[in-house]
Amino acid sequence: MAAIEFRNVIKRFDNGKVTVIPDLSLEIKDKEFIVLVGPSGCGKSTTLRMIAGLEDITEGELYIDNKRVNNVAPKDRDIAMVFQSYALYPHMNVYKNMAFALKLRKVPKKEIDKKVRWAASILDIEPYLDRKPRALSGGQRQRVALGRAMVRNPKVFLLDEPLSNLDAKLRTEMRSQITMLHKRLQTTFVYVTHDQTEAMTMADRIAVMDKGVIRQFDTPQKLYAEPADMFVAGFIGSPRMNFIECEIKRRNDYLTAEFAGNSLRIPSAKTKALEAYENRTVILGIRPEDISAYSGGMNMQESCVITANADIAEMTGGEVNVYFTLENSRCIARIRTERKITSGDKIKLLLDCNMAHFFDKETTKAIGRI
Amino acid sequence: MKTRRKAFNAVIYAVLILLAAVFLAPVFIVIMNSFKGNFYISEEPFTLPKDEKYVGIENFIKGFTQSDFLQAFLNSAVITVFSVAGIVLLTAMAAWYIVRIKNRFTKMLYYLFTFSMIVPFQMVMYTMTYFAFELDLNSIPGIVFIYLGFGAGLSVFMFSGFIKSIPAEIEEAAVIDGCDPIRTFFMIVFPILRPTAITVAILNAMWVWNDYLLPYLVLGSGEKRTLPVAVQMALTGGYGNKDMGALMAMLVLAILPIIIFYLFCQKYIIKGVVAGAVKG
Repeated sequence: MAAIEFRNVIKRFDNGKVTVIPDLSLEIKDKEFIVLVGPSGCGKSTTLRMIAGLEDITEGELYIDNKRVNNVAPKDRDIAMVFQSYALYPHMNVYKNMAFALKLRKVPKKEIDKKVRWAASILDIEPYLDRKPRALSGGQRQRVALGRAMVRNPKVFLLDEPLSNLDAKLRTEMRSQITMLHKRLQTTFVYVTHDQTEAMTMADRIAVMDKGVIRQFDTPQKLYAEPADMFVAGFIGSPRMNFIECEIKRRNDYLTAEFAGNSLRIPSAKTKALEAYENRTVILGIRPEDISAYSGGMNMQESCVITANADIAEMTGGEVNVYFTLENSRCIARIRTERKITSGDKIKLLLDCNMAHFFDKETTKAIGRI
Repeated sequence: MKTRRKAFNAVIYAVLILLAAVFLAPVFIVIMNSFKGNFYISEEPFTLPKDEKYVGIENFIKGFTQSDFLQAFLNSAVITVFSVAGIVLLTAMAAWYIVRIKNRFTKMLYYLFTFSMIVPFQMVMYTMTYFAFELDLNSIPGIVFIYLGFGAGLSVFMFSGFIKSIPAEIEEAAVIDGCDPIRTFFMIVFPILRPTAITVAILNAMWVWNDYLLPYLVLGSGEKRTLPVAVQMALTGGYGNKDMGALMAMLVLAILPIIIFYLFCQKYIIKGVVAGAVKG
């Protein structure tokens, strides 16, 4: 149970030639479930490995439980880590794998046995305690890896893409199991993934990283509803947010965003921030789920109807993903419709103005948050 | 088409069986003659030891008691056991260091080890013997030390190949669990290396046990002589009639331990060679 704090941490590799983390400051509260998310090579795993002590910190300070740990060995940080490849010891059976850390700490055998069996019962791996890792399925191995961390009762749980080697069904199952484990153990969890769905479903707060920089650190709801920039807006949400270049124009007492012969009335709540952009080009962002099929009779003050050609229509069950092109931008709409849409169809789509986001074309930052 | 293929396979099998027979014949003849009387060994070397030709284990008793066989056997055993143990342990450590610590020094070290594999022994034989005598390495502990050097190249090469296939995350997990480098090596890395370690041990044991030239040059043919040197001396040394029966028995006794060792561990050779080839 511990808070973690990065204070202006810099991480360089190759004798200082390559900077992976330019300047990281991050505060993780005690018992929080934090997810570090971002594309491959964004520095999320390096950040996690710095907490673990597997990577040195080039500059800056790292605190765990208010104690500076820059020069503290991994074994003395009271952390446990679950790796992507599980990293189980192949020559030991499940019991010995889970007991290993406790044995090194010279914990009495009785207590080791109690703790291993407690973790095994929670994770439902009791029948496999005598098996070697190679005789287990991917999901079972992952549970053993979690169990090995649990028996230590650490201050901090570090998880490095622990579900990426599992199939989709098992991943969903393990996701809920890890969330339940966090609630049960009441410990600080730091979880690394490149999968935004995992991040959104599990985290108390998410740090979206790109090129070693935290672009936004907030709750999943806030990241989705109020993305700080185009990177976050594009990364969070599936399918990704549509970005369309548009020009801000004044029409009598309100502003509009004009693109490809369409005019979208900007809601009054967003007018103030956009006034400075009058007659300038900005980026309109709208999520696929905020576009629907137009069936007439809507309040046109808050919506905008566009006509587009469906390039591709993908049936996903209750919804259809329609791909279309607007102002040279490839867009996607996730719509519920009873009408069968096929590629090449001309369709009328309704954009929900209240859900539109606007970004500065130069800085890519969200207008109103700059 | 099928008949032609069958005929072709039959020819291939026949050639392979013939080759196997040619290679096995000398071993078989030695074993066969080790149970025959001296007269029949020279008169009928290719017949089976039966009826009056069969002398039981008489040759083995003679071979064992003659020409300090036991002393030579012990010398060979001590040298082989210590050399192999040293090679396996130290080269596994060296390979682990070379693979995990990536810098110019370890890269150079790796090339140096692999280079030593291609240098023929005859090329360094003279200088090595000279230095062995200069440094007082012409003793049993001394030759163990020399074998460490000559065996290191191939062993480091084999261990490195396998260690590269072990995810570093396993060692990182051990570090987080509380292992220092020594514990990580002995409790995690070395047990995982077991199949390769056994392969390395078998290959080196066969080489050290059967080696003739190095022990002959360094230890000579005195009381420190090894088994191959003793056998060679029994074959060519002295005047007059040789006890061929005892000699054949000595040859059988000399190759027996290494064959037993090989048969006992051979399944690990296969495991060790293929280990790491595919992700399990």
